[in-house]
Amino acid sequence: MARVRRVETPGELPEAEAIRLAQAGNAAAFERLYRLHNRRVYSLCLRMVGNTAEAEDLTQEAFLQLFRKIATFRGESAFSTWLHRLAVNVVLMRLRKKSATESSLDEMTEPDEESGGPRRDFGMPDLRLSGSIDRVNLQRAVEQLPPGYKAVFVLHDVQGYEHNEIAEIMDCSIGNSKSQLHKARMRLRELLHESMRDKAREDRKAAGNAGGKD
Amino acid sequence: MATVNCKDFQDRFEPSDDSPRIDSPPDLDAKAHLRDCPACRSFVQDLGMIRAAAAELAASDPEPPARIWFSLRAELEKEGIIRGTSSKSWLREFFGGRFSALPRPVLAGGYLAALLAIAFGLSGPINSRINRQRWLDGTQSSTMPLSAELTSAEKASFSSLPASESSESPVTASLHKNLEIVDNYISLCENSVREEPENELAREYLYEAYQQKADLLAQLNER
Repeated sequence: MARVRRVETPGELPEAEAIRLAQAGNAAAFERLYRLHNRRVYSLCLRMVGNTAEAEDLTQEAFLQLFRKIATFRGESAFSTWLHRLAVNVVLMRLRKKSATESSLDEMTEPDEESGGPRRDFGMPDLRLSGSIDRVNLQRAVEQLPPGYKAVFVLHDVQGYEHNEIAEIMDCSIGNSKSQLHKARMRLRELLHESMRDKAREDRKAAGNAGGKD
Repeated sequence: MATVNCKDFQDRFEPSDDSPRIDSPPDLDAKAHLRDCPACRSFVQDLGMIRAAAAELAASDPEPPARIWFSLRAELEKEGIIRGTSSKSWLREFFGGRFSALPRPVLAGGYLAALLAIAFGLSGPINSRINRQRWLDGTQSSTMPLSAELTSAEKASFSSLPASESSESPVTASLHKNLEIVDNYISLCENSVREEPENELAREYLYEAYQQKADLLAQLNER
């Protein structure tokens, strides 16, 4: 899947130049960098926390950290990768604080300690999601993913980053990124099935109630 | 006979990056298993659908609210990371902090009055002397795309009004009146920016006015 990259239109300050000027404290350059990347960072934060007020706060915090450190940026990695790395860290730190316990990335991605992955029931009846995945359903399910899975899923499947970029952003191996993504998708499938079953149960109940009234 | 079981298949299965619909498992055993196993066929199909739905999520990404930048900029100024000062932060604090308890129509009226007073100031002779100090090289007006967006939003807003609404309600009439005032103010600011493209203060007021106009258009659209 190709990532949608923001196109620089002629006449606008190119990113490299904006970085150079921002390193010298130029206000317009800061704004330019913010405008180039704010949407993707905000979207990442929003999908990670599922709350607009908190996403705004985290977006501001990520950019604040970025601009505080911009003088140290030497261009070893892509600017957007660097920014996303900061943003993911800011979000994961917040989620860790929220959970009130110190936990490693592995702990944040492994909900099933026994198997090291999402619970699975092989040989279950043939349930299909056809027609039941809309944006709202999927977003609800994404919100229930453990933070580590969620970050990899949002970066890869929603924002279109490649595994090598995610490995840099998340500070993990490419294999780890692939494995987390696979587990995230399987967990999502499970969550979507659960919500499908819940809905079917509610529908039956509603139909039963309606029948009782007749 | 297939030697791959469901667990092996689902553990090894990796959707292709090229297409959300996946039909090429890694090897012949897996292919045979997929052919014979409805559960794994459903698994493959579900994962493809999840990928496709995820890609659609990106298309619905919301625009971050403008207040994030204002607040970020204020913080950057406070910490001395941005060199140079802006009037916007104190203006926002002044309007947002002191008058947040007032009803919106009162606030809007007060805001417009303040904008007009500023417009008068901007067009005055004192302005050029003060604002020459605010020179920033390498900056360009970032307000033109916003202006174009607003013009098309305005056209859409008016064209979407049904013919029966030609006789406006008092509130709608008041919104139109306010829109007219803001448009006049925008013209003044645009003139100032044209005359002094380096005047950052004028650009900020213009940007603020565009936002005010966007708010008014949004309110008109809601009605």
